[in-house]
Amino acid sequence: MTLVFDNLRKQYGNNVAIDAVSTRFEPGLIHGIIGPNGAGKSTLINMTAGSYTVSAGSISLDDRKLSGLKKYQIANAGIARTYQNIRLFDQMTVLENLEVCFYPQEVGQTWKEVIWPPFAKKREARRQDACMELLSFFNLQGYAHAYAGSLPYGRQRMLEIARALVTNPKVLLLDEPAAGLNHHETAELTAKLSELKSQNRVMIIVEHDMDLVMALCDRIVVMHHGKLLFQGTPGEVQASSDVQLAYLGTANDIDDIKAAAQDRRAQLGIRTRQRS
Amino acid sequence: MSSTDTTMQSIPRTGRLVPIVVFIVAIALIALTPFLGNYYIRVVNGLLIYILLGIGLNIVIGYAGLLDLGFVAFYAVGAYTYGLLASAQLGIHLPFLLIVLIAALLGMLVGILLGVPVLKLRGDYLAIVTLGFGEIIRILVNNVDWLTGGPKGIARLDKASIFGIEIARPVDFYWLLLVTVFIVATIVWRMEKSILGKAWAAIREDQDAARGIGINTTNAKLAAFATSATIGSIAGVIFAASQRFVSPESFSLQESVLIVLMIVIGGIGNILGIIAGAAILILLPEVLREFAEWRILFLGLLMIALIILRPAGIVPRSFGPERLIRGLFGK
Repeated sequence: MTLVFDNLRKQYGNNVAIDAVSTRFEPGLIHGIIGPNGAGKSTLINMTAGSYTVSAGSISLDDRKLSGLKKYQIANAGIARTYQNIRLFDQMTVLENLEVCFYPQEVGQTWKEVIWPPFAKKREARRQDACMELLSFFNLQGYAHAYAGSLPYGRQRMLEIARALVTNPKVLLLDEPAAGLNHHETAELTAKLSELKSQNRVMIIVEHDMDLVMALCDRIVVMHHGKLLFQGTPGEVQASSDVQLAYLGTANDIDDIKAAAQDRRAQLGIRTRQRS
Repeated sequence: MSSTDTTMQSIPRTGRLVPIVVFIVAIALIALTPFLGNYYIRVVNGLLIYILLGIGLNIVIGYAGLLDLGFVAFYAVGAYTYGLLASAQLGIHLPFLLIVLIAALLGMLVGILLGVPVLKLRGDYLAIVTLGFGEIIRILVNNVDWLTGGPKGIARLDKASIFGIEIARPVDFYWLLLVTVFIVATIVWRMEKSILGKAWAAIREDQDAARGIGINTTNAKLAAFATSATIGSIAGVIFAASQRFVSPESFSLQESVLIVLMIVIGGIGNILGIIAGAAILILLPEVLREFAEWRILFLGLLMIALIILRPAGIVPRSFGPERLIRGLFGK
């Protein structure tokens, strides 16, 4: 189970957002994608999940080509994602936000659910048990019957990750999961994500929080101006003068990279607070 | 952040008083109606037809969040199906229940045919296109004289009968409508609770995120459209059978708007709300018959008052059939 980008390209008119990116994401590892603003990190996530089309090249999971499929088909092929700006079903309860993920596998027997209440009850109970287990893992069980939109910001982030996990996806794409979280919540997130590491799952995180990326990721891909600049372990990335140049324009040590990333995080924090 | 501080945000559980009072009043009204004069029974029958229409349209507007302003077209499809298959117009006289079945299938088909091209549209664009569709159907029946009788309509439709029992008096239609409303409301409510109903809600909340969790939104929306059209068409058959006359003027844009208003005023996405909304919009003009020329003004004031005081409608989504049942049986 390997996610492969082959010579991937995204173009808007004459504007090239992603240029000739080829790489592989292995299961059992947490992959980070980092890079300065506008490097094309989120574009990669959006293309993988089918939110954006692929201009050239291909994305495939094992031998199955994903690029060209519709978004819901990609999701059903085992790709789950979270969004940079949280996108929950606000006017549904926390539990329903997870339950609805069973739609692709259960919709075929809707008629039976409608005409035969005991069947519906049994099915709902099974659905809810599975979802409650996931909610407990994220310490959200107390919110099960609250509307998702009424949750505090940090809990909403957790709920979105829980929703992505309901169908036990092969690939989990996290688009800036720590954006807007405080130190306490970021620590909790880091712990949960490392627990989610599994031999059956490819995990990819786009993140500006360098502490989180360096602590959590096994492999890091560095993007710069739509191109793949560097890939390697966190140690190799920190040692790379190319990477430092990309971030700062001058070769310097990792503390400067961290400082640049910290600025970015502060900006994001302000933005999210205004929004909520 | 402990889990105890979340109980306030949870959907509140109702006491038992309100559900029991609602239930008793409903049973009393249902039992008393047959003893009223024919005029009043006809008014109640009209109300029940609008409840049926409201329940149908609510699937699309309230559950799936798609603003459909052409719903009356499906109502017309059902009414004209009865008009053509149970009259001297084409010399065809099919039994009532068979026509109900044919109209249901035809309504579903028309719903899907309309749905396929327009469901890519969202919001205002969908509203405008469906509005156009409603008008096209009305203008069509108005002009295809050889088939529909044009503006004169089709008169002297057959008396309906079910298994040899004649359905002709207002009170007969009252019972027929009551049973139909009960069956349709139950089925629709169970659909809302099903996994399909949850997918509709997800599409209403965020269509792209719904796709992102693997929902084929086109199919789910088509299912909503088709179900809604089927119900509209069945309501049309009963309407035509009770009037024993159909003409294009029963299917104007105003009817579509009235049904949308019922849903919005009563409580969008909630069957109980639709019943309340229909009761207000259909019965109020009867009560205020002497002030008929003030009707639109009343309606306008009611809308303004609601937007300010109860933006979620008279009976909000959180007070649905489930709460009523739970209250009655104390679970």
